[in-house]
Formats: sequence, structure tokens, C-alpha cells
Amino acid sequence: MTVWIAIVGVSLVTFLLRASFVVFADPHRFPHRFRQALVFVPPAVMAAIAIPGLLLLHGHLDLTLANPRWIAGALAMAVGIWLRKPVAIIVSGMCALWFLQWLLG
Amino acid sequence: MLIGTVPFGFVAGVAAITAGMTPLQGIALSVLSFSGIAQLIASQLIAVDSPVIVTVAAAFVVSLRFLMYSAALSPHIAHLPRKWRTLLSYVMTDQSFAAAIRHFSAPGERRHRHWHFLGAALTLYVTWQAAVAFGVLAGASVPSAWSLDFAVVLCFIALLVPAVKSRADLAAAIVAAVVALVAAGLPYRLSLVVASIAGIAAGMAIEMKREASK
Repeated sequence: MTVWIAIVGVSLVTFLLRASFVVFADPHRFPHRFRQALVFVPPAVMAAIAIPGLLLLHGHLDLTLANPRWIAGALAMAVGIWLRKPVAIIVSGMCALWFLQWLLG
Repeated sequence: MLIGTVPFGFVAGVAAITAGMTPLQGIALSVLSFSGIAQLIASQLIAVDSPVIVTVAAAFVVSLRFLMYSAALSPHIAHLPRKWRTLLSYVMTDQSFAAAIRHFSAPGERRHRHWHFLGAALTLYVTWQAAVAFGVLAGASVPSAWSLDFAVVLCFIALLVPAVKSRADLAAAIVAAVVALVAAGLPYRLSLVVASIAGIAAGMAIEMKREASK
């Protein structure tokens, strides 16, 4: 039952945030600073999720060859900045990881 | 972007099952929330028996970006009836928002653009739900050697790279990443909340300094 409550809660939150300004409110009624802060939400949240996913292995910082993820991730990021294509990030990152795992494993 | 959607959805489906949800719950979470990030975070927290309020709060933080998308999108679709705006909010994602903003800002005929947005968003919706359903069915039987969870990290990187357009964006990203690493030991993935707020504050600080020096 708790799981169902969590599912409904999570779904409500995602919907209400999406609908916030589109359905309910006019963004221009909110202070300039608030709208300015919103601009920094995507870079901050994405970095807070992605970077630990690359650098942490079992909860600890690991920048050695035992953790091929940060190498594959760094390569994918470089490819992404160069080619400006999201697909290139995913394809190059996965191929790099598989190759490194094969090489090291 | 559909290439990223399939493994991402698959992993989200697998994550729901390995978190202890039933297949019906995994699919319900996906159909109702339609947000890969929220689904993954919710799965991680349900897996460790977090209180409901913690799970919902974490989903709120990772979904804050929708506030920004919603604010950016609203002037383009303000003329539509409420039913349309509700439907478009429900199917809006990172990818469809990015495509829609480009499309709505382009010059030319404006009347039928919301149909284009709906078409793109629904294509993504169907692809996503199918991928999640496959993940739910495959459950824990996916070999871990495939490292499919890494595809999820790569999806976040694919969203991060285009989000960094200025020095202030870069500061927000770097501060958020460092704080997330330092605070990684906090329970209930609170590191995500703390890091996001620190990153936003850093971006604002740079932006205000830039304004002051003008």
C-alpha cells in the first residue's frame, strides 16, 4: 500500500510541476530572481545526478582503472561537446565502457 | 533521442522490479509519472523502504526542471484551451521540451504547432512505455555485464551537456557535482537535494556578479 501511495505522490508531483505555468500560473507574476534561478535547475540537477554516477564506485570516489565508468563518461562528454548530438554521447559512452570492460576484465 | 529512450526506459523498468515493486506497480509508476528520472529515483528510494514523504520530496527536486520548462513553454501555448494545455503538460519531457522550444521559436505559420508537439511527445510516450514494459518483464534476468545502468548515467550527461551554455551554468554544474560527491554518504539520496540547491545558488551568484559589473 505504501508503494501505491508513493507512486501516486511521485506522479502528482511530476504532473503539477509540468503543469505549473502552462496550466495554472503566469510566469511573469513571479519575481525576476525566481525565474532567473530556474535557469540553473537543469545544469545543477543533471550534474548532481550524472557526475557521482561516473566517479563513485560502491559509494567511494574511484578515479583508477578499476572504475572504467569515469573514463567512458569523460570520453562521451568530450564527444557530446564536439558533435552536439545526444545520441553520440550514449553510443560512444556505451561502446567505450564495453571496450574498457573487455580490455580490463 | 529515441536511441537513448529505449535503453533508459528498459533500465527504469528493470529498476522498478529490482526495487521490489510488482509488474503492475512498475508500469503504473511509468504510465502516471512518465518521467525516467523520477521513476529511477522513486525506485531507488522504495528499494530501501524510505518513508513516502522522502520519496515524493526527492521526485520533487529532480522534477524542478519542469518548472523552468513550464515557464518557458507557457507563452507559446497560452492561447490553447485548458484541456490542450493539461494534455501537453502531461506528455512534456526533457526531449520533447527541447524540440518544442526550437519549433515554437521558428518563424512561419503558428496555428498548428501544438499538433507537432503532441505528435513528437506521443511518439516518445509510446516508445518509453514499451521500453519500460520490456524492462519490467525482463526484471532481474538482465546480465549485469551489459552495464545497462550506465546508459542512464549517459542520458543524464546527454541532458547536462546542452544545458551548460554560459559560465554561470558551468559554475552551477561544477558546484552541484562537487557537493553531490562530498555529500554522497547522506541517507535517502539527500545529497541530490543539497547539491542541486548549492548548484543553483552558485549559478545565481555568478549571474548577479555579472549584472553588478555591467
